[in-house]
Amino acid sequence: MTQQPAATKPKHNWSYISHKIYPYLSILPVAVVIALFAIYPIIHAVRMSFYQYLLTRPNVHPFVGLGNFINVVTSYYFKESIQITGIYTIATVTGVILYGLGVALLMNTKIRLSTPLKIVILLPWALPAVVSGLLWKWILNADFGILNGILYALGLIDNYIPFLADPTLAKISLIMAHIWKEGPLVAIFFLAGLQLIPDELYEAAKIDGGSGWKTFRHVTLPLLRPVFLVVIVYETMTAILTFDTIYVMTGGGPANSTALISWFAYAEIFKSLNLGNGIALAIIIALITLVLIILYLRVLRTEESTVSG
Amino acid sequence: MNVKSKDRLKNFSLNLIALILIIFIVGPLLWVAVASIQGESELLEKPQRIIPRNPTLENYNYVFTGEIPTTTEVKGQHIRSRISQEARLIPQALKNSFIVATSVMVINVVLGTLGAYTFSRLHFRGKVATFNFFLGSRLIPVIAVAIPYYVIIQTMGLLDTYPSLILVYLALTLPFTIWFLTLYFNGIPEDFEDAALIDGCSRFQALARVVLPMALPGLVAAAAFAFMTSYNEFLFARFLTQSIATHTGPVIISSIAGNPDASYTLISVAMTLGLIPPLILALALRRWLTEGLSTSITFR
Repeated sequence: MTQQPAATKPKHNWSYISHKIYPYLSILPVAVVIALFAIYPIIHAVRMSFYQYLLTRPNVHPFVGLGNFINVVTSYYFKESIQITGIYTIATVTGVILYGLGVALLMNTKIRLSTPLKIVILLPWALPAVVSGLLWKWILNADFGILNGILYALGLIDNYIPFLADPTLAKISLIMAHIWKEGPLVAIFFLAGLQLIPDELYEAAKIDGGSGWKTFRHVTLPLLRPVFLVVIVYETMTAILTFDTIYVMTGGGPANSTALISWFAYAEIFKSLNLGNGIALAIIIALITLVLIILYLRVLRTEESTVSG
Repeated sequence: MNVKSKDRLKNFSLNLIALILIIFIVGPLLWVAVASIQGESELLEKPQRIIPRNPTLENYNYVFTGEIPTTTEVKGQHIRSRISQEARLIPQALKNSFIVATSVMVINVVLGTLGAYTFSRLHFRGKVATFNFFLGSRLIPVIAVAIPYYVIIQTMGLLDTYPSLILVYLALTLPFTIWFLTLYFNGIPEDFEDAALIDGCSRFQALARVVLPMALPGLVAAAAFAFMTSYNEFLFARFLTQSIATHTGPVIISSIAGNPDASYTLISVAMTLGLIPPLILALALRRWLTEGLSTSITFR
């Protein structure tokens, strides 16, 4: 009996220590992986952007200051690709919102086909972007694309249309493929938002004599505001950084008409083999997206935070 | 009567729109599957047939056994160049994708659960800063850090190995998993664990025996997200893998399709095979994925 306190004391000590260090131990592996692929790469990238790195001259790395940044900003492609990125971003963000909201409203009704729609909606989202891009390239092919086949069989066209060889049609095709792939996620987000709106609100609006459109405009839309904000910022980032789809569908062509600014960061590094220029451009893109991210965090901060200290 | 017929018209038009949307969503997937069971010459007819005249599994047979499809024969001559040798790499590439994605998924669930539980329930110095750092790390555009990633992997001597992709994908997926599971654990009442802790369970035991069974739907969704992200990733896979020992599905599929001489039926086969795993996952786990995605936007 007298030995008991002596036996429990070290045990108590050990449990006290493990209690103190357990939180750190439990997040350590994750912290190591994330830190390895976040801190060092950023420092390395920023450093490289101030030096000349040409893969064609692997042993010479002179310091060039802001030279790389000046190179890319004054390059032949910069202004045009920023414009294309702007057009692409506005078109795809508007497109996925209209498409996603429309699909969500349909899924939220009691019509017969709402369940089948819910079953298939996630499919495009689940695919690799490489595959969805090829799927559309394939459908739009000028020689044997099924879309041309259908239009021809219906008598709507006399000759097959080379969708991806025309600068305007190529842009539209790319935007459509983007909406097909990204729209489902937005639809699920809007559906989640719609399902949070209590039925009583709709009933109250009905009693007040509101028409379908008025209810939508004054009840539904305002309550979906948080979803709208998240979707707009998330989809803007997705659009600016689109890569896989463009890589397989158009390769930036024809004549750079579908080359977003992020495409040229890839082209500088992997085609011109000018790492310094490529990374400088990537940093410019990162700063543009950072501005949007700050906006994103501001939006999120208005609501309850996930962890508290 | 007037109101009723108006309702009926509305119902009909809504169903019609839904039908058009379903065709828009599923049509491209069905077409590639149909194209994969057609003969090469039939596929190049003008206009194409939506229902194949002579459906054949020869294209699949070629990918798995190397037996050249007879359908590529035109007037007694094989169009040899239209046989894409690369298509035969598809099974191996999908196997690589599967191994990498499954490893990332398992590690995500284990490390993600441990970490997220701590963020949800425990208090320690630097908690909020660490959490924000994790989340913030995902906001760097990947193209900006692609070269440094390559340097890290090269320095570790891991180029062209599974661990290189697994490490990079862990860095890409863990922040989301931690954030998502923290949300999920926040939604589970603490009373049950408190009881377990009073009974003498350690934190770890309380997590494993009490919380995990209740968090199962969230874990399944988090696992599926990690799997899909890894299975679908292209940019890093493209330049961290150098041979068929590690090339993943998206790398090989884009490479086959990028060959101007490629056989169109074999591209379809490659795409169809690549589509099947994520589609099965999306259909089988539909409810959990939908619920998971909804959770991630509705409470923060």
